[in-house]
Amino acid sequence: MPKILVCYKWVLDEQDIRVNAADASLDFSRAKYKISDYDKNAIEEAVQLQESQGATIDAITFGGPAVKQSLKDLLSRGPDKVYYLADPAADKADGHVTAGVLAAAARTKGPYDLIICGEGSSDAYNQQVAPRMAARLGLPAITFVQSLKLEDGRIVATRKLGDCTEVVTIDGPAVVSVVPEINKPRIPSLKQVLAAAKKPSEEIKIADLGLTPAQLTPKTVSMTVKGFVMNRKNILFKEPAQADNVAKLVAALAKEGVC
Amino acid sequence: MSGILIFSENNATALELLTAGLGLKATMNQPLCAVALAEEDAAALAAAGADKVILLKGRDWPEGYAQPIAELAAKDLAAVILIGGTARGKDIAAKVADGLDAGLVTEAQTIEIVDDKLQTTRLKYGGLAVASEATVLPAVVTVAPRTFDKATAAGGQGQIISLDTADGDPRVKVSDLCPIERQGVDIAAAARIVCVGRGLSQKEDLALAEDLAKALTAEIGCTRGIAEDYHWLPVERYIGISGQKVKPEVYLSLGVSGQVQHVAGIRDSKIIVAVDSNEKAPIFEAADYGIVGDLYEVAPLLTAAFKK
Repeated sequence: MPKILVCYKWVLDEQDIRVNAADASLDFSRAKYKISDYDKNAIEEAVQLQESQGATIDAITFGGPAVKQSLKDLLSRGPDKVYYLADPAADKADGHVTAGVLAAAARTKGPYDLIICGEGSSDAYNQQVAPRMAARLGLPAITFVQSLKLEDGRIVATRKLGDCTEVVTIDGPAVVSVVPEINKPRIPSLKQVLAAAKKPSEEIKIADLGLTPAQLTPKTVSMTVKGFVMNRKNILFKEPAQADNVAKLVAALAKEGVC
Repeated sequence: MSGILIFSENNATALELLTAGLGLKATMNQPLCAVALAEEDAAALAAAGADKVILLKGRDWPEGYAQPIAELAAKDLAAVILIGGTARGKDIAAKVADGLDAGLVTEAQTIEIVDDKLQTTRLKYGGLAVASEATVLPAVVTVAPRTFDKATAAGGQGQIISLDTADGDPRVKVSDLCPIERQGVDIAAAARIVCVGRGLSQKEDLALAEDLAKALTAEIGCTRGIAEDYHWLPVERYIGISGQKVKPEVYLSLGVSGQVQHVAGIRDSKIIVAVDSNEKAPIFEAADYGIVGDLYEVAPLLTAAFKK
């Protein structure tokens, strides 16, 4: 039975982050966490393979102390077990550190026949953890996958590459990253949510992974993060009669030289 | 650490990287080496200002060149490696970065060297924010296509060196390479766009937007939900940070709430017009002009007005 590892990130919901117009600083005070949107596709793909092939699914995440809140949501989406690394180092981790930590953990808990990641995280969107993990584990990487099959120990994936698609077949294990169009993640049912409470979770400590200080030191450090401030006219037409609004809009566009 | 290395399997993008690379060369005062996979691409890069072009041969899958590129960069002690931010390029860049045990900045918008570090800016949180980051050298950077202008041929005399590489990974087989047939025009290049979002209640109602687009001589675009969840329009038409980024003269949305990922794809538009029934929808913060109202009532009125 194939053994699958799916990776996910617990991120702040960007819809809840506000930009303070005065100084372009970011206000995270109302932001809640969620499973990164792209990772929901990775989880769903693992679950579909489980349903069609009878695979077992482990999930893994590397995050700050808040990451423990993610376990129930994750398990209700179908994986059998979740490993988590809750460490403040995650807040400053770049792709180099994250891929190293996840690869070392996967080596400890594996081997896995297939490791699935989303195409990027919805916060930093660095799009490098899957291929970097593959490099660390000495496995082939198949990125931007839009359909995925397991056939007698082989992985057959169709990749979407901007102007073309191609089929990549791998003998043996691989790391893949999937694009959102591969599936539509389902919403967990009440039964799944209740069942999640009974599924196992296990903490892994970074200190137990045997990584060197250099492997845990980010190559890229953040200097500033500023909100993108839109400079738009923000003129709203909201008369009760839509014909009036349309007339005003058309007049404004005519003044802009558009029509 | 010294030189600059650039690579894209797409030669138009490679010439854009050359512009960025020549900018870095001006401050770093170090040679600029390009890697190409085809003879004509190598010649174009040498003519447009690369000091040296390595023409790699021997593998039939661009991603298979990640290891030889990493080896070249290590041998040349390249300090900055710029890779075109196509899907293949992002894959290659991550493997090159890992081979060099280097940092990788994805889709950098600005790139400079300050105090022996690479300083870059890039979008974060779905386009809501701009992050400035510093990366130790050697550093790998991907640059999205069309971020820089192409370097123009200037009679450069760069040296071209052919290099055979060993066979690729025997575990990987690539087949069935198919071009994606684009349905209709490239909306990234459209001068006017009518964009539909989830405010539209059924697929048949796309006709409303099509009529308006016709009256405005615009192309139809959509949000990710319309393309990827509902499949009412092809994915090539969806606008957003992970889809098409557009910069039309006029962008007009119908029933688009304006999530940050979508707004990140439209903010280079010259004029943004939004129609939505929810006055609090974030699209209005991103718009120059907005009509608060039911798109089913407003769109036909707009169509009639634009026809005049």
